[in-house]
Amino acid sequence: MSPARVNIDLLAPPVAHTIQRRSLYIGLVFAVLSVIGIFISPPEQFLHSYLLGYMAWLGLTLGCMAILMLQYLTGGKWGLVIRRILEAAMQTLPLMMVLFVPLAVGVHHLYDWARPEKVAADKHLREITRDFLNPTGFGLRSIIYLVIWGGLIYLLSRWSAQQDDPPVRDFSPRYKRLSAPGLILYVFAISFGAIDWVMSLDARWISTIYPLIFVAGQVLAAFCFVVVVEAILSRYSPMAQLLKPDELKDHGNMMLTFIMLWAYFSFSQLLIIWAGNLPEEIRWYVRRWVGGWQYLGLGLAAFHFAVPFVLLLSRERKRQVHRLVRVAILIIIMRFVDLFWFIEPSNHTRLLVHWLDLVIPVAMGGFWLAYFFYNLKARPLLPVYDPQTASLLEPAHE
Amino acid sequence: MDDPTQATRGSRTAPVIEPGYTFATITDKISSIVLTRPVSNGWLVGFGVGFLITMMLLYAMGYLFLRGVGIWGVNIPVGWGFAIVNFVWWIGIGHAGTLISAILLLLRQQWRNSINRFAEAMTLFAVACAGMFPVLHLGRPWLAYWLFPYPNSMNYWPQFRSPLVWDVFAVSTYFTISLVFWFIGLIPDLATLRDRAENKWAAIIYGILAMGWRGSARHWKRYETAYLLLAGLATPLVLSVHTVVSFDFAIAILPGWHTTIFPPYFVAGAIYSGFAMVLMLAIPIRKFYGLEDFITQRHLENSAKVMLATGLIVAYGYAMEAFMNWYGGNPYDNYLLWNRLHGPYAPIYCALLFCNIVFPQVLWFRKWRTNPGLLFLVSFVVLVGMWLERFIIVVVSLHRDFQTSSWGMYYPTKWDWMTYIGTLGFFMAAFFLFIRILPMISIFEMRTLLPEAKEVKAE
Repeated sequence: MSPARVNIDLLAPPVAHTIQRRSLYIGLVFAVLSVIGIFISPPEQFLHSYLLGYMAWLGLTLGCMAILMLQYLTGGKWGLVIRRILEAAMQTLPLMMVLFVPLAVGVHHLYDWARPEKVAADKHLREITRDFLNPTGFGLRSIIYLVIWGGLIYLLSRWSAQQDDPPVRDFSPRYKRLSAPGLILYVFAISFGAIDWVMSLDARWISTIYPLIFVAGQVLAAFCFVVVVEAILSRYSPMAQLLKPDELKDHGNMMLTFIMLWAYFSFSQLLIIWAGNLPEEIRWYVRRWVGGWQYLGLGLAAFHFAVPFVLLLSRERKRQVHRLVRVAILIIIMRFVDLFWFIEPSNHTRLLVHWLDLVIPVAMGGFWLAYFFYNLKARPLLPVYDPQTASLLEPAHE
Repeated sequence: MDDPTQATRGSRTAPVIEPGYTFATITDKISSIVLTRPVSNGWLVGFGVGFLITMMLLYAMGYLFLRGVGIWGVNIPVGWGFAIVNFVWWIGIGHAGTLISAILLLLRQQWRNSINRFAEAMTLFAVACAGMFPVLHLGRPWLAYWLFPYPNSMNYWPQFRSPLVWDVFAVSTYFTISLVFWFIGLIPDLATLRDRAENKWAAIIYGILAMGWRGSARHWKRYETAYLLLAGLATPLVLSVHTVVSFDFAIAILPGWHTTIFPPYFVAGAIYSGFAMVLMLAIPIRKFYGLEDFITQRHLENSAKVMLATGLIVAYGYAMEAFMNWYGGNPYDNYLLWNRLHGPYAPIYCALLFCNIVFPQVLWFRKWRTNPGLLFLVSFVVLVGMWLERFIIVVVSLHRDFQTSSWGMYYPTKWDWMTYIGTLGFFMAAFFLFIRILPMISIFEMRTLLPEAKEVKAE
């Protein structure tokens, strides 16, 4: 089998192109609707919805990057077949960099700490805005986070592209050397990103585990997204031959692990704050426990944890892509609900789903998916010149 | 799967078992430590020292029962002194055993096979040491059974909202499951010892413990199922025990205790110290018993990597806690940070940062990661650091709380030290006994690492 022939066989199926085009159309239509929203909705609402969409899609980009580095670091065959999916997803970061601009511009409508009249009335806000939470610091720190992720993604992508040319070269030591510090940088940057972008919606509220809920959520969403893409691609060559039940089961197990991790972090936060019952902390939950928000909270416990947890215990379900993908879609929806439950109560005391809460995330998603499939199409679906690939192409010993 | 006797790709990684062994030589080598080798002077000295220190523990306990907890340095405001520091430290050390035996089994990490047995034994002894402290701290330890909910005529029932009651269940469950898991794993090896023992009494005792194991296909099938089920049961316990221990602190509203990151940060710290203890035991054992072929560089390196990763999670916890103390703007939280850095216990906090965060960074480099002497030193430093961490959490948070008028200092007494060092001696004595009377490396699991075992499976 000559390398050239392999490359042709391994390219993404035409369906990728179709989805790319349709996603782009959907993105354009919803972008127009979003722009209309700027003029007919309050800017607070627009920006809250925008932040919701931004965190959701940024989560996929970064989650895929984190999984890629985790896989380089720990090894395991489960990562080879999804490497290109992860890479195509993380390479959407330039889009997310551009999409950050409205948040930086609209900071005064989004955060209390950026409103002079609110700051003047509150001693803590005066102190914290002087030293940390001010529009300049917010912008600069955001640039630092995005540049850190951009640098990691640039290096990972560049080496991976070099590996697409013969001869077979083992880059794993190089990937490992980057991934260990890379994961640390990712976790620190997203931790402070979560504090700056979301936690500071309520600048007086703190929780030390809060950033980790974002880390677990992003990686979880990314695994679910990978399974969805696998489900689409596995109906066509070459993924139909490449995707083996054993590796799929590993992806399902990863979903299970991160569901548990998310639940563990979320429950720890709830229990500790509930038991402490300090006025400055419990506020956050009280706000999410009245006016209809409590139903979303209970829904999260049921459908972000209990139901998928039970479903993913089944070994058979994890080996069949058409069954696993249903759980993945459920979790992706619940990830969005979770972010909604984190972000929107700071804007509304009663549960309210504004039309922009759906329109803006769909618009961003349209562009994001178009970009993703564009990246995915550009390269063979397997790293052909990675020495590990040979083991994947062998028939399974079963 | 790769052949474990072969170095992995890149050939810079050591194998998990050195080449040249057969089923028979593995069995000979491990079982001879228990059955045929004479008692060495080194063993006698080690066990003797541990035994004497255990006697000191019993003396300290006897005096405690006679006079009460007043002989310790605890008082208001620091009502939780060494007892709780040592409890958390020992429980943390006990985490590595279950992590290695259960989680690494489920993750199909074959390198665990040569260190799981003694790591599990270490877990049991560490949890036993840990369990002593809360009971000793009760004041009336003979009433410890009141902690359990049982029907009684005293109209008495435990407070289920208290994490201290959760502790009772978490720790006792953990100990039970770890013990059962360890014993089940021992059965095939006990049968091997029964068949090879030349001493009649040894054969009888090992025979009773082996519970009629004959090694039939049916036995093996049931054994494998039981072992996997127990691994599944034990896995959540690795997280839950130290999570519950962290709730002991985090549920309260004291600055330094009440912070939401405590559960994962405690669990990471526990695994951190647990692996440090595994290395501190493995490095001398492999040297004195000539087990370098079974506990290879690969084991040391992998354990070092686990330590590095968990140490970084601990560092993340420190960083996030310090940042939020500052960011939250609560004056008491702010003061806690100041007090740690500049208060009377500041040298301990600095030592803690050095031991847990600065020094272990040498593990980033393969050259140092594979140097047993240096690894031993790093492990020792980490164990000291983790003990200091618990000291900082317990003592420094308590000694200056909200009201200046209630501030005070904590000074451990000689009884505190004797009890703490006494448990170290107990741990040491128990471990020396273990390596003398039971196979410290799982014989049958080592055999599965050989290429022959793979061939049999393939056929």
